[in-house]
Amino acid sequence: MTSGSAEGERLTVHGIELEVLRRGAGRPILALHGFDTIDPAAPFLDLLGQHGEIIAPSSPGFGHSPRPRDFDTIYDLVHLYLAALDELPGDKVTLLGFSFGGWLAAEVAAACSHRLDKLVVVAPLGIKASDRETPDILDVFNRSPDEVRRKSWHDPDRFAPDYNAMSDEALVVHARNREALCLYAWHPYMYNPQLPRWLGRIKVPTLLAWGASDGVVIPDYGRAYGRLIPGSRLALIERAGHHPEIEQPEGFVERVAAFLEE
Amino acid sequence: MRAWYHCENVYPFVPQEVLDRAESVRASLPNKYCDPKIAADLFAECLDEQLLCDELGVNVVSIEHHSGINSLYGASPMILGIIARQTKNVRILSLGTLITIRPDPVRVAEEYATADVISRGRLEIGFVKSGDSEMVSGNANPVGYVDRFWEAIDLIQKTLTSHEGPFSWEGKHFTHRHVNIWPPVYQRPHPPMWAATGDPETSAELGRRGMINALVLRGPEASKRAFDAYREARREAGLPAPGTDRFAYAALCYVGDTDEEGVRVGSKNLWFLNTSLKQAPQMSKFLPGRMPPEVAAQNYRTVPRPGSPATLRPGQSLIGITAEQAIARGILCAGNPDTVYKQIMDIYEKVGGFGHLIFIGRSGFLDHREAEKGIRLMASEVLPRLPAATPARAAE
Repeated sequence: MTSGSAEGERLTVHGIELEVLRRGAGRPILALHGFDTIDPAAPFLDLLGQHGEIIAPSSPGFGHSPRPRDFDTIYDLVHLYLAALDELPGDKVTLLGFSFGGWLAAEVAAACSHRLDKLVVVAPLGIKASDRETPDILDVFNRSPDEVRRKSWHDPDRFAPDYNAMSDEALVVHARNREALCLYAWHPYMYNPQLPRWLGRIKVPTLLAWGASDGVVIPDYGRAYGRLIPGSRLALIERAGHHPEIEQPEGFVERVAAFLEE
Repeated sequence: MRAWYHCENVYPFVPQEVLDRAESVRASLPNKYCDPKIAADLFAECLDEQLLCDELGVNVVSIEHHSGINSLYGASPMILGIIARQTKNVRILSLGTLITIRPDPVRVAEEYATADVISRGRLEIGFVKSGDSEMVSGNANPVGYVDRFWEAIDLIQKTLTSHEGPFSWEGKHFTHRHVNIWPPVYQRPHPPMWAATGDPETSAELGRRGMINALVLRGPEASKRAFDAYREARREAGLPAPGTDRFAYAALCYVGDTDEEGVRVGSKNLWFLNTSLKQAPQMSKFLPGRMPPEVAAQNYRTVPRPGSPATLRPGQSLIGITAEQAIARGILCAGNPDTVYKQIMDIYEKVGGFGHLIFIGRSGFLDHREAEKGIRLMASEVLPRLPAATPARAAE
């Protein structure tokens, strides 16, 4: 992961300009990134691109997407992607969300199932599962960078970003991503207390993909999440942490592709 | 010149090996390391120092910092309430309640108004932007805190100056539909307002508003930059040039009988810089919102690139400073009365004058007896010789 993003291409949704990464061909797959924007060099893109056209915008404030004035809440992001569903061509869209973007995908799917054919969420955030004194989601702002690194990856030495090796531009993108994430999700930290009530409205086949070694949100959180989405199933991906698409691109795409082809 | 005694009521009695091991001496250091009996003694001493100041005609400062060895004053309004009643003469500056982490500025305004009434109009209200570990311990979003700062000030000012029944506020960051505090402020239209900042952009806005600009431990060069931005903003806005009464300079200070005593005892104040500033990286350099992403990006490198912009926060550059360096940089004034007078006047000349001297007279292991001696010598031997503050000049 180099935290780069796909500067150049643009997508305009409800008058809001977003940078967008496109890859592959076939059924439209709207992909919502997690803490960081999707690295155009990530191997899973070409693999998944064989099963559909990936359309991966950078949310306002992330990557190279500007953030309009007063666009600063999860409410804004959810409505942005609801608008994207309205504006994308075709009858149905496959929605794919990673981590923070998985939260947005779940919100969008609960509100707008009829525009989707399938939903894939990869270690999605967005709900409160445990009791009030047990944080479900690792605090990536308040915990030490070493702990966050350790808990984010199955094999941090191999996959965690090497900031010293990154270009200045990629580092600025990373800093922008972190600032935008903090703005949207500081409080309540990474969840919407009302979301569990509405997840039952998701009427499309849903796959939750989870890294078995995920320490940002552990697989049990995924199981609790899955129980709230009727008919959903959980695919545990071994030897992967919070980013199975990075650590196990082949295994990840294999599971997702099989689900999409059903 | 008006002088202000400033003491943050620090808690230095945590074993050094604990501090060395801790990732941060603020926000996350367990409070088991603070003995409440010792804390009670410290509060008594620090409040007694404020009473001594009251006798000697030295104004006093109340602060608020959260959760760590750097200050036991968790809530400025609570301390103001005590000082407002116990002192009788001097002015009291809150510098300040952390309005960027408080959910409701109206409550802050009400607490300030109460302190102003109790003190019969001796309160001055200072604002600080806060940040870093205070955002963490205060559970406040660090992104957008500057906008929150200004809106909180606007709402507090409106609250303090409204006397005809409830008004409604539906702002970007704060909503309060029924604002009508009791008691109202004693001073009209409202107590003098200050803010502590070294950021020229913020200083410029203070200039347009006519608020007093305090520079805390920034040294003469950064202070002059801020004061110049203040003056320039007023000039551009067609407002009268500010007098020195709009500018405040804060430094660690200690006056002894001799230079040797002044430096020996005054150096103890450097604990504040060398020990109490340690913050975990996630609470400081990696905390979003404190610097633009273009600048913050370089913090991620452990090996800086040649030519990359410096990203040190002002406080960080002071860690490890020696007494000689601190004196040379205008952070510490220490010596006998003549020496301290000269050091202050040297800074005064370099920044183009200031009407308020905030002297941080006790920190670290500098004890109560030493602090009181320093206050007495400052009050009797140094302050009377400092130039008077000038008011604003009429519009040209």
